[in-house]
Amino acid sequence: MNSPEAIRDFLGSYLRPKFIGQGQDPPTDMSDDHDLLLLGVIDSQDFLNLLLAVEAHFGLQIDFEGLDPEQMTIVGPLCKFVSEQLGKT
Amino acid sequence: MMSLQKGLWSGFTRSAESFPERRAVVVGGKSLLYRELREIATRIAATIQAYPEFSGTPLTAVFAYRSATAFAGILGSLLAGNGYVPLNRTFPVERTQLMFERSECRSIIVDSGSLPQLDDLLGGVREPLLVILPDISDVGSYRELWPRDIFIGQDDLTASSAWREPTVCPDAVAYLLFTSGSTGIPKGVMVAHRNVVSFIEYVAERYQITEQDRLSQMFDMTFDLSVFDMFVAWERGACVCCPSQRTIIKPDKFIQDIELTVWFSVPSTAVFMKQLGLLKPGRFSSLRWSLFCGEPLPVSSAQAWLEAAPNATLENLYGPTELTIACTLYRWDSVRSRGESELGIVPIGCPFPGMNVLVVDDELNEVRPGQEGELLMSGPQMSLGYWKDPERTAASFVVPPGAREVFYRTGDRVRRPLGNGPLVHLGRVDFQVKVLGHRVELGEVEAVVRETSGIDGVVAVGWPATLSGCAGVEVFIEGEAKDLEGLSTAIASKLPDYMAPRRLHFMSELPRNVNYKFDRKALLRMLDV
Repeated sequence: MNSPEAIRDFLGSYLRPKFIGQGQDPPTDMSDDHDLLLLGVIDSQDFLNLLLAVEAHFGLQIDFEGLDPEQMTIVGPLCKFVSEQLGKT
Repeated sequence: MMSLQKGLWSGFTRSAESFPERRAVVVGGKSLLYRELREIATRIAATIQAYPEFSGTPLTAVFAYRSATAFAGILGSLLAGNGYVPLNRTFPVERTQLMFERSECRSIIVDSGSLPQLDDLLGGVREPLLVILPDISDVGSYRELWPRDIFIGQDDLTASSAWREPTVCPDAVAYLLFTSGSTGIPKGVMVAHRNVVSFIEYVAERYQITEQDRLSQMFDMTFDLSVFDMFVAWERGACVCCPSQRTIIKPDKFIQDIELTVWFSVPSTAVFMKQLGLLKPGRFSSLRWSLFCGEPLPVSSAQAWLEAAPNATLENLYGPTELTIACTLYRWDSVRSRGESELGIVPIGCPFPGMNVLVVDDELNEVRPGQEGELLMSGPQMSLGYWKDPERTAASFVVPPGAREVFYRTGDRVRRPLGNGPLVHLGRVDFQVKVLGHRVELGEVEAVVRETSGIDGVVAVGWPATLSGCAGVEVFIEGEAKDLEGLSTAIASKLPDYMAPRRLHFMSELPRNVNYKFDRKALLRMLDV
């Protein structure tokens, strides 16, 4: 349940209303190289909200200490990071 | 003492003389020295001065976001003798169009990142414009598409030697900043040089800013608190450090990498960082000052922040845009402050020197000490009013009965201090609702829910509307629902029936407005659907 794919699915469902709200079509797949900031639907504050939503959804506290800002808004590395964090608990 | 001969730019030009080789700004991963920033800003200013036919409205729009051009553009507008109007490409373009049109600016400075929205902006304007694009050399395509306007690219900027320092007019508008109006039409607040110079000189001295300091720039330029970041730094030769959209994601790393000495943000940032586990004890040892402003600061967030920044003094500032950035402040004291806080919120403290406070009832008569009422303020930081809007200016800038001067109605509810105690913010006047004839302060309901749930992100609204007020209170909580029944029972046990929330709505994320404050109207709309 805490695989990178599960996290990717959650990102997709979380971001869907934001795409629709901005008159954009949600992407059919959240491929690994999508950068959430560059997609233009969320800003940095939204991204922090997203991290909190990931915590709330998976019911676990994630240690964001090791989060690399250069990588972490990109779907593939983000899903991998969260999945690893969830696996530690 | 404040000198009225100073413009908002004066501190910068003085520091550029004294510290030409020091860093003035870090932005986009690069540093600009004072002499470099002065050179770009002066060329922009000289360009605006070279086209006097566009000077009908003494304002220049700066359509730039977290870029060198944003800083140079603001300084360039001021050095040309104009006030600046910040525009923000992360806002909906319709809102930016409305702000630009209402400002009646005839000149605009645009950075490369905002160019994709430029055509939309120009399409809504009827008058010819001076459009300065300092980031690009080739402006041929724009000239072809918009023959009505004058386009100036990087290579066309006037030489800095042609710049003439403008005469300082203390009453001239230094910046025009749009705030959301209750009617949905943004209001342009006119802040004069004398208003903002008074503020900058006081806080630069209070915080003993020196050329060794590094200040955060967390606020977008469209939020007036950004004026603190830039101009307090430049007043004393310090460096303002502007994180990119990407760097903001990790404020902890930003503070450590840059070794910030002065932090200034909305309390929400501290709330987020606490929730994400980023406020590790002792982590921000470089900070001398931790300053918060813009919304209520929860006691729990202040304490967690102080543990992370043990060498810093924490102050909570308060002030609407109309009173120029901040006009009261409260210094956190580990012994005294918990007792002085109400509803789990840090007090807003005492007025800045020269600012006068009145706490009034509905008829604008002063209430007795210890009673609550609306906060009215007057003094050197009181702005000129709303741009081209005498009606709304007259409604908010009033002479109360028995007073001899104009006061600004903040719309904030406070308790009038007993003795020398601090002002305590109790919520917005318009957040007070009547439920079945009872007066209910929504902030009080929020405080009980915050305390009971342990979650800081809580908003209470009165809903549905009735002829006499509203039928009940609904509460939104940012987080995952856990033991809903137990939580509801615990909250209800602490509140009278008419105040107890009818429903608790858990959301992974509460809607926020452009300044990251909770969007209560959006929540009401959700209930209406």
